[in-house]
Amino acid sequence: MTLLAVEPPSAAGQLALAAVLAAGGAFLLLPKPGLRSVAGGVAGLVAGLAVAAAWVATTFGGPVTNYVETALFGLFAAGALGFGVVLVTQRNPARGAIAFAFVILSVCGLFLLLAAPFLMAATVIIYAGAIIVTFLFVLMLSQNDGPSDENDRTREPLLGSLAGFAFVGLILFALGQNHAGAASLPAQAITPSEQAALRAAAAELTAMTEDAFYTTGEPKDRSERVARLERAVEDVLGVSGGLDEGTVRDRSIATRLRAARSDLHAQGVLARVGAARVRAADTFELVAAAARNPARYPPAPARTAAAGLRDDLLLLAGVGELPARNVANLGVLLYADHLLAVELAGTLLLVATIGTVAIAHRRGTAA
Amino acid sequence: MITLWHYLAVAAALFGIGLVGFLTRRNLITMFLCAELMLQGVAINFVAFARFHGNLHGQVFVLFLLAVAACEAGVALALILMLYRRGRSLDVSRWQDLRELGVPAAADLESLPVVHAEPDPTLTPAGARPAPVAEEPARV
Repeated sequence: MTLLAVEPPSAAGQLALAAVLAAGGAFLLLPKPGLRSVAGGVAGLVAGLAVAAAWVATTFGGPVTNYVETALFGLFAAGALGFGVVLVTQRNPARGAIAFAFVILSVCGLFLLLAAPFLMAATVIIYAGAIIVTFLFVLMLSQNDGPSDENDRTREPLLGSLAGFAFVGLILFALGQNHAGAASLPAQAITPSEQAALRAAAAELTAMTEDAFYTTGEPKDRSERVARLERAVEDVLGVSGGLDEGTVRDRSIATRLRAARSDLHAQGVLARVGAARVRAADTFELVAAAARNPARYPPAPARTAAAGLRDDLLLLAGVGELPARNVANLGVLLYADHLLAVELAGTLLLVATIGTVAIAHRRGTAA
Repeated sequence: MITLWHYLAVAAALFGIGLVGFLTRRNLITMFLCAELMLQGVAINFVAFARFHGNLHGQVFVLFLLAVAACEAGVALALILMLYRRGRSLDVSRWQDLRELGVPAAADLESLPVVHAEPDPTLTPAGARPAPVAEEPARV
């Protein structure tokens, strides 16, 4: 028997190891009168984070397609987690507030990566105020003469760290289980390769509408171009323009979506695919007729139909992405769909203001 | 490729770190900041789901979450102020009279290290000390 023939640890073992390492590190770092070791604590936390990151990379990771996005995600995630640990383990609450400001900045970076620029700005503005108020409270209320009970003691540091990091480990384990069960489930309704295929077909259609035949009626054989176009559209939409009836194309969006997803968004995409399929069939019919007998079937309607089909394909390619006008669409959604919730949030703020004044009010002359 | 699952993992870790801080720390202000840290983890979840479903409902939810966080901050800071006025301390364990019935009180067994504060440096007095003078009678 050799020691080298150790099996790689299972997912549960890996996550448990990460949780125990991180909990030990946090225990060593938390302020308390007895055992406290900054170097050991940092080493434990970094080791735990490394094990967890390796597990995340092997479980969820695919090929890295966008290096800038991956690097920025790693930077902001590490910033948020690192400064969060500083906030939790820092003795001085003023320094904790500074660490919290950096956590907010890192989280705002993640918001930006998730296409939420308005939330990024709103969070920075609101939490800038919150952090300044926290600073005022620290300056006003904390005594800075030597060690104090509130800053240099912790309640049950070992059990508290174990509970928190065991919770994280369990959530990660559940995420891994779900991910394994839903490995075929696409994150987006339209995958990037399908987007590329749709855009390529749209470009083919654009070239066709600019073809001299459809503008001037110059007689020339267009069968090769039409066949190529039909193949391109058929690949993504699953529509057959009469070439080979009955073929099943695995790459078609409708087949994949119907097998994997049943939510509202997927249904909307399916409806669009159906509409585009009908339009594609009409377009191919018009184009074929115009190519066969230009005198009887004028090419202008075929050209119009091709332009319409191209617009459909481009819209379908962009359906998986968030709308570009973030603020405008957020406003529409807030005031059209969630008006009652907006009013309730306003009421909540008013009640909180009254409650704050009632709590902090000094009764009598001196407290 | 960065997927929804990566963001969910980061959000869970951020929530857990905030949870550890909220459970163990005793300073009221630090506990408040740790609660805000947990809220940030939840916000990342919402925005990530919004991104990967291709709609904006999750972002709207985070806007409401910001409003609730503002209310929470106001009420929490007012409570901290009142508790400080009563107890002259930010230590939550000062309020452990509010604990459940039958739970023994937590006691701090180890004593804190005593730090000898260096007295502020002073200059040695120079020159002659003026002789005390009998107080002048009032010339009024």
